Amino acid sequence: MEAIKNFINACAVPSRMFPVIVLLFFFVFPVNSFFEKYNKLFFLDRLWTKKGGIFLFSTLTMFLSIGMLDENFRHTVSKPDNLPIVGLIYASLFFLWVALSQARENDLRLEKNEKPKEWHDSQEKILVWPDLVSIELIAMLFALGFLFTWGILVDAPLEEPANLATSPNPAKAPWYFLALQEMLVYFDPALAGVIFPTLIVVGLMAIPYIDNNHKATGYYTFKERKLAITIFLFGWIILWLFMMVIGTILRGPNWNFYGPFEYWDPHKVEALTNINLSEYLYVIGLNMGLPGNIFIREAPGIFLISLYFIGGGFLLTKTVFKNLFKSLGPLRYSFFLVLLLFATSLPIKMTLRWLFNLKYIVSIPEFFFNI
Amino acid sequence: MLDKLKKLLENIRQTQFVRSIFRMGGGFPRDVRQRMFVMLNNFFMHLHPVRIPKHAIKIKYTWCMGGLSFFIFLVLAVTGMLLMFYYRPTVEFAYGDVMDMNEQVPLGIMREIHRWGAHLMIITVWLHMFRVFMTGSYKPPREFNWVIGVILLLLTMLLSFTGYLLPWDQLAIWGISVGSNMAAASPFAGTEGPGASLLKIGSINFVHKGADARFVLIAGRFIGEAALVRFYVLHCVVLPFTIMIFMAVHFWRVRKDGGISKPL
Amino acid sequence: MSKEKVTRRVFVSWIFLGWTLFLACLGGLGTMLLRYLFPNVLFEPSQSFKAGYPENYAVGEVSLLWKSKHGVWIVRTAEGLYALSAVCTHLGCTPNWLSGEKKFKCPCHGSGFRFSGINFEGPAPRPLERFKILLGDDGQILVDKTKKFQQEKGEWNDPASFLAI
Ligand code: HEM
Ligand code: FES
Repeated sequence: MEAIKNFINACAVPSRMFPVIVLLFFFVFPVNSFFEKYNKLFFLDRLWTKKGGIFLFSTLTMFLSIGMLDENFRHTVSKPDNLPIVGLIYASLFFLWVALSQARENDLRLEKNEKPKEWHDSQEKILVWPDLVSIELIAMLFALGFLFTWGILVDAPLEEPANLATSPNPAKAPWYFLALQEMLVYFDPALAGVIFPTLIVVGLMAIPYIDNNHKATGYYTFKERKLAITIFLFGWIILWLFMMVIGTILRGPNWNFYGPFEYWDPHKVEALTNINLSEYLYVIGLNMGLPGNIFIREAPGIFLISLYFIGGGFLLTKTVFKNLFKSLGPLRYSFFLVLLLFATSLPIKMTLRWLFNLKYIVSIPEFFFNI
Repeated sequence: MLDKLKKLLENIRQTQFVRSIFRMGGGFPRDVRQRMFVMLNNFFMHLHPVRIPKHAIKIKYTWCMGGLSFFIFLVLAVTGMLLMFYYRPTVEFAYGDVMDMNEQVPLGIMREIHRWGAHLMIITVWLHMFRVFMTGSYKPPREFNWVIGVILLLLTMLLSFTGYLLPWDQLAIWGISVGSNMAAASPFAGTEGPGASLLKIGSINFVHKGADARFVLIAGRFIGEAALVRFYVLHCVVLPFTIMIFMAVHFWRVRKDGGISKPL
Repeated sequence: MSKEKVTRRVFVSWIFLGWTLFLACLGGLGTMLLRYLFPNVLFEPSQSFKAGYPENYAVGEVSLLWKSKHGVWIVRTAEGLYALSAVCTHLGCTPNWLSGEKKFKCPCHGSGFRFSGINFEGPAPRPLERFKILLGDDGQILVDKTKKFQQEKGEWNDPASFLAI
């Protein structure tokens, strides 16, 4: 048992778990025929059948309930303020299954040139009273009952009185902000706290204006909107939910990383000496001091960033997004590309941090400008 | 006996008083015509259309998440107003008031309902957005309603953010600290943000600790009572009011855009 | 009254003037509203304090005496004393002094600072700030938090940032 736990702890380190999850993601949600082949080969498309649903649900439940036997795991997961995240894990998995199982059903119909299930339903009209109103009443009563039960069973937490002299250790925001807090580890506050959140909001708002595939409206499908769904799910599952779970369950004292079954030892030492790109180049690479001139000092970083946005953009346009560029047109496509490059910069920066302890690519603390 | 009771009810229904309240007479709608009438003649019902395509009431299609978000918002509004009776937004009293909240009245679980309700609303709003995306319901003509939806999402999260500061406990004050320091990092508008140091004439900075985005948020250079009052007003007045306006537009647009999306 | 025709030119000018005035009023109103968010008078505690006599501090140690009340660590080196701000330069949490590892470690996102206040790990973009420190007439140390010194601007060389003993 201990060996298994230690193994899971070791696997859970983000630098190991993250690539695995990302890779798995692309096989589970295949964007193109290459991934589709393996998706079929490993029976991953069966996840969205009834049996697959039962498999997903019972695996998760088994992991959680066996995990609960472990004291350290129980301690983090059963904190009152963390309960909702357990609920959210279940709910998002359940609704992911609900959406994709219907998508699978519809995709099979569409393959046979049939209309989607929702189309048949929508041919018939029904009266709102009593059919919809009664459902709403039941839903409301159910929600109210749920809330009351929750409220009676679990007291709302209240921490120690406010004290500006001691930050709690770890000092965590509520779970729904923890993906943002996790981002703060890798990026400067201006980026992680202001620019990225703004871009998330703008990006979400831009979805209907960028996605010009107007075909698949009003029914669940995957095959007809592969790219849109994959990108959205990548953001929702990997960049939001996954990071949130890391922040809630796997971050302990001093914001160090702890495996799910690891004791939160406040004296755990993790050497995390982070180095800027300029220091790598001039101090370690060329064995000289940092240049005095800010622009010379940061030129390599600025060059890399421009290369990422301009060169990377061109490369993507010429290769994988060739057809997309044609179908979206230049304006839509540029918005899409910029937003996408910003979104992928997050996992890239995370990886650089894990591999090279890279702190900032461009670092101009004199002007509070760091990337 | 039963007949007599029925007769009595019928008589009550026919009184001028009852008929003045329920525009259609207060009877239980029995046939199609009457059922359509309830929807049209009742203010609360007329949020809905009269007839809708069948897929729109399938739980499997909408998951009922939008409706539940709205309902939970109403629960939060009611419980929140109850909490306001016992809460004073001052550094001296806030923490104690919150601590006593459950003892103020028998069966005091309003704070629990409010707090867990807030968590639940976040979840339902996220899931609602997820289902709207997965059904492709943001596509024309519903683009703008999606945009309004994103604003609702933002407002929901801001409501929780401002709300969890009010107990003035450790979570609250460090939430404020980190959040307001993020504001200080905004480009140009915050002292610690990129570009702010460029906004100056001679040696006079326009953006400094006493005049930047952080200052607006916490009404001072340090976190204290002024910040608490600011967040209290935002949480109890400004944001609920704003979100109600956007919700109204959201619901109106759902209907004007042709009801729940459906396959063509 | 004459029935002069209003020329197109005059008409356009009036419209232009009207709109300009209207927008100017709106702008004024907006500025007023915005200005209302910035109070003139702040009720904030005094920003300087007396920190006892230099002899009270042991060489090579970080004093936690003034942390909870004033948010300042006073550090004694062989050469003298400096006052470090106990506010993380990342997002303002209060780091903890870990005497075993000889570092200040921030619990919020894991920034670490050395004895000197220089940042070396985690997301903090720059070193901790130092405050003005001097010896008062009564022989006590005086820390003035309104004047701060930032290492990355080369201000730690300023004599006021350091109390030589
Ligand atoms: C306070 C939060 C919100 C409330 C109370 C709310 C309420 C509702 C309700 C009651 C509906 C009717 C259909 C349904 O229940 O699914 C609806 C539809 C819709 N909502 Fe929301 N919503 C909220 C947030 C959002 C968000 C965050 C988005 C997306 C970003 C969004 C986008 C939409 C769209 C596009 C529709 C039309 C869907 C269709 O026609 O199928 N809403 N909303
Ligand atoms: S506030 Fe100290 S690391 Fe973020």
